[in-house]
Amino acid sequence: MAPAPSLPIHPPNGPVNGDASKQPPQGRSSQKSMTKAERRELQEKQRAAKAAAKAGGPVNGAPSKQAAKPTPQATAAATPKRPTKSNEAPAPTASALRTQTAARARAASVSVPTPANARGLRIFSHFGLPKPVSVAKGDIHPTILRLALQFSEFKITGANARCIATLSAFKTVIQDYATPPNNTLSRHLMTYLSPQISHLVAARPMSVTMGNAIRQLKLEISGSDIDLPEQDAKDALCQKIDNYIRDRIIIADQVIEETAGNKIKDGDVILTYARSSVVQKVLLGAHAEGRQFSVIVVDSRPMLEGKRLLSVLASAGIQCTYILLPALGAIITEVTLVLVGAHSIHSNGAVYSRAGTALVAMMAKLHSVPVVVCCETYKYSETVQLDSFTKNELAPQGDLFSSFPSVKARDSLTLENDEHLEILNPLYDLTPPNCITAVVTEVGVIPPNSIGSIPVALGRLL
Amino acid sequence: MCIECLKLPPLHRHCDLPAKIVIMASEASSSKGEFDIYQTYRKILDDEEMSPPLAAILSLSQLMVESNAGTMFELVKELHDGAEELKRHTTNPISLNAGCELFIAFVTLFPHESDSFAELKTELVKQGQKYAKEAISYRNKIAELMLDFIKDDSVILTHSYSRVVMRALLHAHKTKRISVYVTEARPRGLGVKTHEVLTAVGIPCTVVLDSAVAYVMDKVDFVLVGSEAVVESGGLINAVGSNQMAIIAKAAHKPFYALAESYKFHRLFPLSQYDLPTHNPSILSFPSLPPRPFVTPPTTSGVSPPIAKSGIDESLNVTPTSSSERSMSAEMTAKNPDVDYTRPDLISLVFSDVGILTPEAISQYLVAMFAG
Repeated sequence: MAPAPSLPIHPPNGPVNGDASKQPPQGRSSQKSMTKAERRELQEKQRAAKAAAKAGGPVNGAPSKQAAKPTPQATAAATPKRPTKSNEAPAPTASALRTQTAARARAASVSVPTPANARGLRIFSHFGLPKPVSVAKGDIHPTILRLALQFSEFKITGANARCIATLSAFKTVIQDYATPPNNTLSRHLMTYLSPQISHLVAARPMSVTMGNAIRQLKLEISGSDIDLPEQDAKDALCQKIDNYIRDRIIIADQVIEETAGNKIKDGDVILTYARSSVVQKVLLGAHAEGRQFSVIVVDSRPMLEGKRLLSVLASAGIQCTYILLPALGAIITEVTLVLVGAHSIHSNGAVYSRAGTALVAMMAKLHSVPVVVCCETYKYSETVQLDSFTKNELAPQGDLFSSFPSVKARDSLTLENDEHLEILNPLYDLTPPNCITAVVTEVGVIPPNSIGSIPVALGRLL
Repeated sequence: MCIECLKLPPLHRHCDLPAKIVIMASEASSSKGEFDIYQTYRKILDDEEMSPPLAAILSLSQLMVESNAGTMFELVKELHDGAEELKRHTTNPISLNAGCELFIAFVTLFPHESDSFAELKTELVKQGQKYAKEAISYRNKIAELMLDFIKDDSVILTHSYSRVVMRALLHAHKTKRISVYVTEARPRGLGVKTHEVLTAVGIPCTVVLDSAVAYVMDKVDFVLVGSEAVVESGGLINAVGSNQMAIIAKAAHKPFYALAESYKFHRLFPLSQYDLPTHNPSILSFPSLPPRPFVTPPTTSGVSPPIAKSGIDESLNVTPTSSSERSMSAEMTAKNPDVDYTRPDLISLVFSDVGILTPEAISQYLVAMFAG
């Protein structure tokens, strides 16, 4: 099959090239690689035949299960007498990116392996690994390409930051857009934006904030006046985007800063987890008002985002302590208030936030420390979420975040998947509503069980 | 105000407020050259049936009558100032606040249909007085709602003295047999007042010590308390001892019911006991004693230290009442809170004139009332 063009991207597992005899990054011994290469060739031919029949099967958005399914069948057909070796199955050989995706997916979730392994790890197969940025299907705007790269390499993190970046990118896209003849902007622009959005989703699963913002954008586009000249329509849309960012994020943050700041009293010891942009604003704001308090920043691998928050707070002159999550039990008795941010809140009152937040909230509840979640209303999702498991995202393997001390060799500390080991780094977890004392939004302070009243309150405002 | 009052256009029915209240209110202002809102407030509170939030609403209405404001903005500002003035005079402003905020929200959201500002003002005042009059009847509504939850031969535990609980119990007594335990509710000892009232109508009633609540809880069918305020989290602010009672009731699996008129719903959100506006650093503070002399061990001479010891905080002095009973001195009592906060997960139901609500529903009601 014709090799699909591949971008010289370095996926988290290291550079990939087309050498069939290259050892898979799992560090397989070279003795078996020749035989494996032969097997691989055969498998490739099988797969090519199958793929040709399957017109344009999913390239990027394929959940790993789907991609994994055709391969075991191919493998089983090809060499019936390879029961146990199949989990050493080829690492990306990268002619077709499809195989790359499939193999990567297989690395993440074992699909054909020994029955024992299969039972244990298939349950994690629904977690999508961040896939390498693939070939752009269709006409993707360079801003979107750049943004997707930034997302996949975790250069932009945080629900608010991602949403603002996405909306700003869409503004550029809209300005560069030209309505084709015999088409209206309000109808065609949406179809034009859809592949761009899919490209972003392929880089990294969409956050609830991005989803809500894009839904609002689509609503605005469809409501756009047909008679308006094109440039005016585009300007109006960009203005609406600006208003959305301003009203739902910037101003909301200011209201939250004030409301939550009122809950901070002199002498408080405030605990926060990882890095939330809203909590950062609240703490800086309260400090600027002259309240005397100290902050404990709790952090955890792999992202170690707390370090950035720590440097910002410390340079503002706030007294800070920095600990890692396992040390939480030792200091929780000193804490008077826990302030955390959120990725999204759900209608049953559960808060979906950086992995580790649930532990902090549960520990605080046990010690009767109030837990306050600072969250804008645009993070509200109508869905009900009951556990951290059904929906989550895995961090890529390898040392993407440089979270090891520089004195030790990175290689020695970085774990990688192999035959008997699978690394899982979920990025989010769910804090149940009974561990939360209050949720501070721009429409008021709401108890977690009444989060469903947010749309009512919003309806009054908007 | 109930939501209906806010949504409907003003009713042009003549409001017949009890005459004495109107007279009292205007007396307070005519006795001095200037309108003194606090005096008005106190005079209104002289009426037994009045509670602080309603008195606040009436005082603010009276303020509007006396005011010279020419625009809505000025009027609202004057109302805010009046509310601040009232709050300054009392150490426990929570229920007062609830009434003030409710009235100011009503004034702000009132549809401005009248042609002249004076007409609008008159209308607002009338509405305020009408509301206060209706609100007195809320207690009857609550008593009626409560009736179905009281079975024959119920044993009820209540705390301190609450007008709405009294109304409910007296109403139930007409058709059912009930017996009541009431806590003493120190330091004010209002539980004894409850005992007097109930015994006078023939309800068997016994006063229990505040410390005997856990002892008596297993004998009780349910717990019934009044409220100073019901807050946004769905929790309850009431005389100190209610939280204790709620925790014990939860541990003994007994329902805990709170009775609250809708004007007591407040947008406050305390995160803990110490986040209440009534909490200040002197409450539950330790006395600052001079550093102990290094050498001599303290002499153990029974419970009370010798009065002759100098330099020790006076609160250690004990004022003996009888030979076997001691009581706290005024200074000791001052270090204790007046009200406490009961968490929403400890409360089974809140009975109010807008219906029987779960604690979660309180927040939704408040959002619907006040948002925007």
